[in-house]
Amino acid sequence: MHQLDCDETAERLNLYLDRELSDADVVQVREHLSECPPCERIFDFQAEVKRLVRKECCSDDAPARLREWVRNLSAKDPQPPA
Amino acid sequence: MRSVDSDLGFEEHLDALYRSALRLTRKPEDAEDLVQETYVRAYRYRHRFQPGTNAKAWLFTIMANAFRNRARLHRGVEEPIDEPGTDFYIYEQLRREGTPLHLMSPEELVVDRGFGDEVKRALEELPLPMRMVVLLVDVEDFSYKEAAGILSIKIGTVMSRLHRGRRALQKRLWDYSGRPKSASIAVGAG
Ligand SMILES: [Zn+2]
Repeated sequence: MHQLDCDETAERLNLYLDRELSDADVVQVREHLSECPPCERIFDFQAEVKRLVRKECCSDDAPARLREWVRNLSAKDPQPPA
Repeated sequence: MRSVDSDLGFEEHLDALYRSALRLTRKPEDAEDLVQETYVRAYRYRHRFQPGTNAKAWLFTIMANAFRNRARLHRGVEEPIDEPGTDFYIYEQLRREGTPLHLMSPEELVVDRGFGDEVKRALEELPLPMRMVVLLVDVEDFSYKEAAGILSIKIGTVMSRLHRGRRALQKRLWDYSGRPKSASIAVGAG
């Protein structure tokens, strides 16, 4: 099987992080990361940044007033005939 | 008696829609308004929704369209940006500074520089096409294919916007971040 070098791995890191690689590519990337601490550090850092963005943005919940409004809307809405 | 919503599963995505609406509109009152429009449309067109399929993607598609119509009305200020370079802007800057990357965990690096403090601001400053894709993929965990469907664009376009958007986001986080709080670590790390 083809062994990825550092550049080829770098090109695939975000795809790997986003779970968009094929199974075969995942195996290759994992293999390189397990043998290459510098690339592994980049990957770990990039994963942390992605986690950070999600965490920060998920702190905003919909206001109670809006939730109530949505509930009323769905309650008013009659079930379509089966 | 089961409500309509428990069958369609629309209500459980309210928080996700609201936080994305907030990043898109940047104002709580506009975000609320956009979410209301989204739900009104969702119920109006619910016969087009197949129960059991991805309700979250369906709702985000409606919201993206509603938002696009609004943005068109007062288009203006936002310049498309292009930031050439790799995907790892912050990491490369840290390395260039001589930060002892092998001695600090990613969590420590992120906390040390306060990268989290300005995430929302940095995101809200991204041009809309990129902001949309970063929100869908990084915050809401949609696949590239789902994001492409929601925005009616090609997967290749999702990927290029994501690449540029993330890089621009990292550049802003880097620019806004403070100096290292633990400079002594860098000094002592020969
Ligand atoms: Zn490597």
